[in-house]
Amino acid sequence: MADAGVKNDIRSNMWRTGAWQSLLTFFILSLAWLVGFSSRLFAVIRFESIIHEFDPWFNYRSTHYMVEHGFYNFLNWFDDTAWYPLGRIVGGTVYPGLMVTSGTIHWILHMLHIPVHIRDICVFLAPIFSGMTAIAVYFFTKEIWSAGAGLFAACFIAIVPGYISRSVAGSYDNEGIAIFALMFTYYLWIKSVKTGSMFWAIFTALSYFYMVSAWGGYVFIINLIPLHVFVLLLMGRYSKRVYIAYSTFFITGLILSMQIPFVGFQPIKTSEHMASAGVFALINAYAVIKYVQSFLTKAEFKFFFISAVGGAASIIFCTVVGLTWAGVIHPWSGRFYSLWDTGYAKIHIPIIASVSEHQPTTWVSFFFDLHILVCAFPAGVWYCVKHVNDERVFVILYAIFASYFAGVMVRLMLTLTPVVCVLAAIAFSKTFEIYLKDDAPKSSGKETSEEPAESKNDRLYDKVGKTKKTKEEKPKDQDAMGMNIKTIVIIALLMILMLFAVHCTWVTSSAYSSPSIVLASYNHDGSRTILDDFREAYYWLRQNTDDKARIMSWWDYGYQIAGMGNRTTLVDNNTWNNSHIALVGKAMSSNETAAYDIMRQLDVNYVLVIFGGVIGYSGDDINKFLWMVRIAEGEHPRDIKEADYFTPQGEFRVDSAGSQTLLNCLMYKLSYYRFGELQLDFRSPAGYDRTRGVEIGNKNFKLTHLEEAYTSEHWLVRIYKVKDLENREKVAKPTIPAQKWKKRTSKKTSRKRTGSIKNQPKIVKGKRKSGKK
Amino acid sequence: MLRFSLFIAICVCSVLANKRTLVLVDNWSIRETHSVFFRTLRDRGFELTFKTADDSSLALVKYGEFLYDNLILFSPSVEEFGGSLDVAAITNFIDGGGNVLVAASSDIGDPIRELATECGVEFDYEKTAVIDHLNYDIKDQGKHTMIIADSKNLLDAPLIVGSKNINPLLYRGVGMVADPENPLVLSVLHASSTAYSFSPDKAIDDYPHAVGKNTLLVAALQARNNARVVFLGSLDFFSDEFFTFSVQSGMSNKQFPKSGNEDLALSLTQWVFKEKGVLRVGAVKHNKQGEKEPPQAYTVFDMVDYSIEIEELKDGKWKPFSGQDVQLEFVRIDPFVRTTLKNSNGKFHITFKLPDVYGVYKFQVDYNRVGYTHLYSTTQVSVRPLQHTQYERFIYSAYPYYTSAFSMMVGVCVFSLVFLHFKEEPKEKKE
Repeated sequence: MADAGVKNDIRSNMWRTGAWQSLLTFFILSLAWLVGFSSRLFAVIRFESIIHEFDPWFNYRSTHYMVEHGFYNFLNWFDDTAWYPLGRIVGGTVYPGLMVTSGTIHWILHMLHIPVHIRDICVFLAPIFSGMTAIAVYFFTKEIWSAGAGLFAACFIAIVPGYISRSVAGSYDNEGIAIFALMFTYYLWIKSVKTGSMFWAIFTALSYFYMVSAWGGYVFIINLIPLHVFVLLLMGRYSKRVYIAYSTFFITGLILSMQIPFVGFQPIKTSEHMASAGVFALINAYAVIKYVQSFLTKAEFKFFFISAVGGAASIIFCTVVGLTWAGVIHPWSGRFYSLWDTGYAKIHIPIIASVSEHQPTTWVSFFFDLHILVCAFPAGVWYCVKHVNDERVFVILYAIFASYFAGVMVRLMLTLTPVVCVLAAIAFSKTFEIYLKDDAPKSSGKETSEEPAESKNDRLYDKVGKTKKTKEEKPKDQDAMGMNIKTIVIIALLMILMLFAVHCTWVTSSAYSSPSIVLASYNHDGSRTILDDFREAYYWLRQNTDDKARIMSWWDYGYQIAGMGNRTTLVDNNTWNNSHIALVGKAMSSNETAAYDIMRQLDVNYVLVIFGGVIGYSGDDINKFLWMVRIAEGEHPRDIKEADYFTPQGEFRVDSAGSQTLLNCLMYKLSYYRFGELQLDFRSPAGYDRTRGVEIGNKNFKLTHLEEAYTSEHWLVRIYKVKDLENREKVAKPTIPAQKWKKRTSKKTSRKRTGSIKNQPKIVKGKRKSGKK
Repeated sequence: MLRFSLFIAICVCSVLANKRTLVLVDNWSIRETHSVFFRTLRDRGFELTFKTADDSSLALVKYGEFLYDNLILFSPSVEEFGGSLDVAAITNFIDGGGNVLVAASSDIGDPIRELATECGVEFDYEKTAVIDHLNYDIKDQGKHTMIIADSKNLLDAPLIVGSKNINPLLYRGVGMVADPENPLVLSVLHASSTAYSFSPDKAIDDYPHAVGKNTLLVAALQARNNARVVFLGSLDFFSDEFFTFSVQSGMSNKQFPKSGNEDLALSLTQWVFKEKGVLRVGAVKHNKQGEKEPPQAYTVFDMVDYSIEIEELKDGKWKPFSGQDVQLEFVRIDPFVRTTLKNSNGKFHITFKLPDVYGVYKFQVDYNRVGYTHLYSTTQVSVRPLQHTQYERFIYSAYPYYTSAFSMMVGVCVFSLVFLHFKEEPKEKKE
């Protein structure tokens, strides 16, 4: 007992110094980093250290190019193997932040004589950055609420599936580093709003620059921060701090963001960026009015204010409308419209709608990706609203907009995830704060030490000053609670958090750790079969085709063919040229002869299709086929009509009831060529498509202009060679009817190989009398 | 000495390279009845191998190599070729670059008709003949099948038919039709508008398969690999008799001392066995103006020199081609530049400015003229956009901005000097 008393004394001493606190903070953050890193390694452990999916292959390829040829050559890289024959200026159409980041790491490691292959850096970049995201989120939450909530938030963001989905090892994509940049920019912004120092605002702009260089999602920042400022103005929370922070950030950020070649003049030309400029003008006008107000009488000021505001508003409105009309400012892009109207993309830009991650989010996936956090999230918002101050306004706005956007597009779940973590952390931290408080008087020391800090913060940055009220309320609540209730609540919360951790691990391992270029299937006995068809086929291309061979495939596989097969592609995942994609779509959805014309026009040597009918892989080209038809119809409405590919009942079916246009189009033929001869098992007929669960409708057909070149082990990838024009042209439609064209049986035998001639004079030779000797 | 003899051997080989010819006949008498024709071939250096079409040792390919360069089928009535030869073997021979001269007659057998169909030409049925009741020769025996084809009906292609100013042609045999849509088949000689193709012994109870100018007497195919095939419906066309006959129409009294058959046969064989109208591409060079080697990639707006050497086979030797109408296209799906090349002694060259559109282009020379082999040469090059250092460093119209930037810098310096200077004084005063 005495020991305990001594220990308590020591502990309280320690707490007072803050050493324990920082040690604990450090410890928890490193653990969060470690856990976040290791839970992203499922894919590497199960498969191998390999780049995943589609876009990462391009990022890897260009990183590799940059490391090999240097930054300036990368900036000027004209890739003539992509988008044949248009080519692609890679340096000007890419966010280089990702490549530069991993290139820098590679360079530093090599400076230190640590020979790491650039591929390994690329594979592990996203997990490493997830730890940095955790720390950024910790600082952000600490600024918003408290250090305790910050630690919660860091732990949440480290393992939450919504973020892991884009940052597992091998998923080498922009989002992996962009979320870190996003949260760090927000942290610095909050910091600069709080301090009103130019120093932090400049850092915000620098971090924003990094974000711009890394991801197109920077538009989110450049709209959210002005919105924050605007709302602060509306709420009457204007201060010099906000003015300094915003004007510094805006100007520096604008100039810096224009240094990225891909962004170029967009910040001053496109509507997406106009809000920030407008707010900049507004806050300056507001500052001027404030200044004028200080030496004018009330009546004078009223007149001045109304005329100034009216004049300014009309001038700004006219300028924006005029510039938009003159074409200087581009109207909003299609992707932007599709954020407001979820049906927009489907009608106007099928190429955007065709991407699965651009579909509206289902309710289930909110729970799947965020689990309990999505439930605690509104509580956090409520706490923020209740104890509102400048920076909490920001977090509330962030929460509102991010949840809307996440509802519109699955992909934007990623931007919602950090704020959900932050607000859920606030909710949990607040709840634990209430229920974990010791009744014993000893703990009051700790409480008081924390409370003043918080109230001091509030006094500094919050003018509304609601803290006093809450302070008064708190003791009342706590007094009413018994020990049992506290214990039950705490245990329940801990259980929930534990379940959250379990859920996160399960989701990560089962849903988000598949490299998607290597497939795994499980047998009845639980053993695992690896289907490596993609790489098998791409290596076949690499080894067996001409260096300059041009491969036509649907755009999904463009980056992979370029990355693994090292061959020229016609279209790829950088879907910048819709008409070129539509041309490929048209070739795929036309009949063989029409497709042959297009393929010759585009100098296609090989055609690659993905076919999942043998193993039941659902992401194959036949399932994507309607999008090809739609995209082709958008550009060539005369030749391709979507309705032709449906049955009269409006069904899309590949069996014998399917439409004839579908059963004879190139994609169908290439997918199902000779599939009719294949009987997979004894229960199903020959030509039974496992993905669609039907027997195919058009079985015995021949290809005239193409020939099968390669089919991978499980028929997943099929490659066809485009034949040259025929050497001779046969008589297609005989004008002289073939009535006399009877098939003669050859009289030639293996012994006697004499032919026969009509009307030949017969020479009767003299016969020898004796027979055989 | 040894080297010299080796050189001669190579020369002989190269001369003989396109001259090995297999002649398939129905019976040996054709060798005698067509002796003039064969002799002219021999005189031109062809190495003729005669065989009957049903010979059991017939073969075009041995150990994967063609035994002959040319094939003459003077065996219209063959029903089945002997040895390993059949229609598929002959089409393979054509696809492998071999040239074929086919002469048919009214006794045409199925293999010849099948072969023609494979090449885009259709022969009329067995026992039919081209009949012309107005343009028959006086020596005709009453059925009006020995017809006179006017040399005006010849295709307007001097390389194939030689001069068009030759005496009328004698023809007795089966007619042909060809699809005019077929881009590879040429109608070298068609019958006059009064001709038709039908069985001369039967009453006409059906519409003839070939009527008037649709009836082809000589058809030619130049396959995409430049193999050449000529079809004639009349074996007698090449006979010594027809070569030497005088021509007099049964309807008019105009008489020609000698038919034009021999002249046309000479031109046709020269063309079909590739003694004439053969082009080849020599060195293709392209580079930036003022440089020697082609660059890794061109940049937009570059001035580019392009040159291509084209040679023509004349009298067994490669001579510079003298055509003036060779065009170059610079193609990226569509041609961005199309220009006529300047010919200086077989070397065609041009200097032009690249378009301002980047991409992967092809230098493409696609020279396709009737009678000449199809000449097609493409070279793929990349045209890249300007590098970041290649833009103008200072833009004229941006000078106001430069001034404003520098004046701002100076202003800040001055201001800070003034600010620092005046800030301190009042402080000192206060203190």
